[in-house]
Amino acid sequence: MPKMTLTHFEAMLLMAALISLVLGVVSKKTDRERIRYGITSFGWFIVTVFGLGWLMYLGHR
Amino acid sequence: MPEATLAQPDVPVSKWGPIVVLAWLLPGGGHVLLGRHVRGAILGGSVLIAFLLGLALRGSMFRPQTGDLLTTLIYCGGFLGNVSSGILYLIARWFGYDQPDMAGHSIDYGTKFLVIAGLFNILAMVDAYEIATKKKD
Repeated sequence: MPKMTLTHFEAMLLMAALISLVLGVVSKKTDRERIRYGITSFGWFIVTVFGLGWLMYLGHR
Repeated sequence: MPEATLAQPDVPVSKWGPIVVLAWLLPGGGHVLLGRHVRGAILGGSVLIAFLLGLALRGSMFRPQTGDLLTTLIYCGGFLGNVSSGILYLIARWFGYDQPDMAGHSIDYGTKFLVIAGLFNILAMVDAYEIATKKKD
């Protein structure tokens, strides 16, 4: 298995994508609902990360 | 007048037991056995990708350890998460994968990905159980 390194942002993107996909598949009934949930969940992950990132940046100034 | 609840007939363990065991051992296998091939492929694929990412990032696997509450919770919970990956965990162990827990964000993410793979598989097992017992369509 080749060794791999990821930045914090890349790791978060992959993790958010996988979590959104799995939760969408197991928690929703129709494909439309699953896609909608997956995209919304992924979007919220990104928004939260950027929000927390800015919060930490401003908190450490 | 209170609404009458419909008592659901119990589904025998022999019906859902093998499905849940297969779902644990082979991520997505329970769904395939139930004829839900696409669902099984998505869930199994997600478990596999998360696990392989964890290995590629050289994440460490937990060993059960007791002590104070937090130590017990982290190490036993982490071990449970790792073991839940089924055959992937067993193969990695059989091939001698034993990465020490070292400082570094990449290794740390790897450790999380390995646990998340197991947690995805627990969700897949519960999903397979609910489908097998007709609690879910």
